Amino acid sequence: MRIILIGCGVVGQSFAQILVRREAELVKNYGFHPRVVAIVDRGGAAVNPKGLDLEKVLPLKAEKGTVALSSEGGRPDMSALDVIESVEAEAMVEVTPTNIKDGEPALSHIKTAFKSGKHVVTTNKGPLALALPALTELADYNKVYLRFSGTVGAGTPVLELAKKCLLGDRILSIRGILNGTTNYILTEMDEKHITFQQALKNAQKLGYAEADPSMDVDGLDAACKLVIMANWIMDKKVTLRNVKIQGIRNITLQALEEAAKKGCTVKLIGSINDDLKVVPTEISRHDPICVGGVLNAVTFFSEFAGEETVIGRGAGGLETASTILRDLLDIKQNLATKLVA
Amino acid sequence: MKFGGTSVASGENIRHIANLIANYVGQGYAIVAVISALKGVTDRLVEASEQAKNGNRDYIREFIQEIVEKHLTATRKAVENKVIRKAVEQEIRATVDELEKVLTGIIYLGELTPKSKDYVLSFGERLSTPIVWGALRDLGLNAQHYTGKDVGIVTDSNFGEASPLMNVTKHQVKEKIEPLLGKGIVPVVTGYIAATQDGVTTTLGRGGSDYTATIVGAALDVDEVWVWTDVDGLMTSDPKIVPSAKMMPELSFQEATEMTIFGAKAMHPRALEPVMEENIPVRIRNAFNPENPGTLIVKEQKIKPGDAVKAITLVKDVALVNVSGAGMVGAPGTAAKVFDVLGKENINILMISQSVSEANISFIIQRSLLERAVSTLEIALLGRGLIREVTAENDVCVVAVVGAGMKGTPGVASRIFTAIARKGINIRMIAQGSSELNISFVVKEIDGEETVRAVHEEFKLNKI
Repeated sequence: MRIILIGCGVVGQSFAQILVRREAELVKNYGFHPRVVAIVDRGGAAVNPKGLDLEKVLPLKAEKGTVALSSEGGRPDMSALDVIESVEAEAMVEVTPTNIKDGEPALSHIKTAFKSGKHVVTTNKGPLALALPALTELADYNKVYLRFSGTVGAGTPVLELAKKCLLGDRILSIRGILNGTTNYILTEMDEKHITFQQALKNAQKLGYAEADPSMDVDGLDAACKLVIMANWIMDKKVTLRNVKIQGIRNITLQALEEAAKKGCTVKLIGSINDDLKVVPTEISRHDPICVGGVLNAVTFFSEFAGEETVIGRGAGGLETASTILRDLLDIKQNLATKLVA
Repeated sequence: MKFGGTSVASGENIRHIANLIANYVGQGYAIVAVISALKGVTDRLVEASEQAKNGNRDYIREFIQEIVEKHLTATRKAVENKVIRKAVEQEIRATVDELEKVLTGIIYLGELTPKSKDYVLSFGERLSTPIVWGALRDLGLNAQHYTGKDVGIVTDSNFGEASPLMNVTKHQVKEKIEPLLGKGIVPVVTGYIAATQDGVTTTLGRGGSDYTATIVGAALDVDEVWVWTDVDGLMTSDPKIVPSAKMMPELSFQEATEMTIFGAKAMHPRALEPVMEENIPVRIRNAFNPENPGTLIVKEQKIKPGDAVKAITLVKDVALVNVSGAGMVGAPGTAAKVFDVLGKENINILMISQSVSEANISFIIQRSLLERAVSTLEIALLGRGLIREVTAENDVCVVAVVGAGMKGTPGVASRIFTAIARKGINIRMIAQGSSELNISFVVKEIDGEETVRAVHEEFKLNKI
């Protein structure tokens, strides 16, 4: 399968590394022969219709900061859209940074890929949170697949559990901790009795929080994930605007101490019932989703199978990159079935 | 007689072919002339229709200027008589006006349907034919010019590559043209274009004007169809590769078909169909060397003993794909799956070979489609226990050896391969159909020309 990789940050590079490390095994066990025919980063593109030599391109990226300086197919003049339109490939992997204002440039990348008949795998929450109903319709219309397992729970198979393992059942509601950064901060405040500000500083020091922590601590990241789950799992046509969002900046030590007296604690809980909410909520310490540190946890309430909870790390380059491979394999299997009827 | 390419490249050349026609008419031949567009005009019309679709008004304005100029210049050189010249010029201006309107319509709609594209493409022949007509008039011949539609060529509505409703066409063309010839008129007919039963303009696609000539020829049951070009005839090989290549005086329809499929610049097989049915010989001749009898293509020809190989062609820009896996052995339907997958991707296969062990299938496709073909095959078939590997080579070429005399002549293949082996050239893949008209094989691209020369020499094709 010929793949165009748009974005070559932590996730993009991790994905390329996985391909290098696992190529022989992928061919042997899954009949999957990935060829990355183009990589685009801020400095331009590297293109080779026969497949780039990733073992040469990756060190170059690390050394020079861009793939466009590669002697093999380096194209500093080509933009992402040029590449998506003009380079032949079966799939595009979109891993540029998330933008929840207008979803760009990822939104344009994805639409262009659809128009030129390319399947899309993305880990970018922006375009999905803002326009998932539109994007799924566009993918269907162009007869291509859109996959985004890595957007919720990173390597933890949250979306797949609901969509595949609970096939045939009806999921009535979903509740969970969807953001590792805020969960780390709340756990620190609860256990070490420190203020929000102090806990945030610790998180930043450990690399769990960004310099501008707004996406995480104001609940936006969790809200994006909620929108994706509502659309994909429960077929609700909603976007970020339909979510009631409240962050954790105003959570005081007092509130945590009050909760502790009742055998509870405060967590940033995202929930889908009749409406979509991300709000700090008191939950029992015995609730299965009451996990500590950077972990994520999601409970599905289904009509027949009852409650299932999945717990796992919700972030990380390699973890997220592994979901891209999962999605590509899923696409390959679907295509193979379609091609050989 | 059909005139195309360089023979209608300029006003001087048109004057030249008009003299040629007049000369044969003078000798008592009854002639129908079929005319192609001026050299390069059809390609320009394709480009202009795309530009019109994209709304490029300036381009179209300049293009119209260019087209008017080109045809008026040719007219001035081809037609001396002022009155006749004026008539031709008027007709050209009126036709270009119509073309401009069509292109403007496309600009407004921003849409180019196959139907409107055919309409645009028809203008090349509609503009060149009156010039030839004028030149013939100028020489005192009683000529009349017609479009393919006027003379009654009716096609289906498969725009871009329409197929004639052959029996209706034959009937109508005969009804129309025979009385003209009876009156001593020389009909000059546009090549390439025709119309549906409702009168909508269509084009004949591949084979183009040659096709018109053979259709008209078959309808009138003519003695011969002459295709005038700028070469003496079909050669035993490309003279650029084999300097000693010779012109072939005669070959059969089947041989001609085999050769054109393998890229020789002869007639498209489609264009040979109407005359093959009626057993009308086709002669390929040089308009600039009419003394030369050219190459005659006939139904069957006597095969001299030892005259096994007729011609050798080289097909470049191809790639070899090899699909292999132990799982393919004895698994019915494997080849069907491979080719079905490629068919769904619109990838045409030029040549196929599978050994009886069934452990691999090799085939040749156009080189530009290689990456897509390999990727699609891998997605569809890898990981199903059937195929282990898909490999590709893009530095290969196909050599095709053609000759009706190879049929039933033992030892031809052995001579071919021995000659190649002596040059130390390795053969990657071989195919021969049971018709035995053609043996095709694949060698490395760098060895291609050397291989052609070796086979050419082995069969002494320079000494026919």
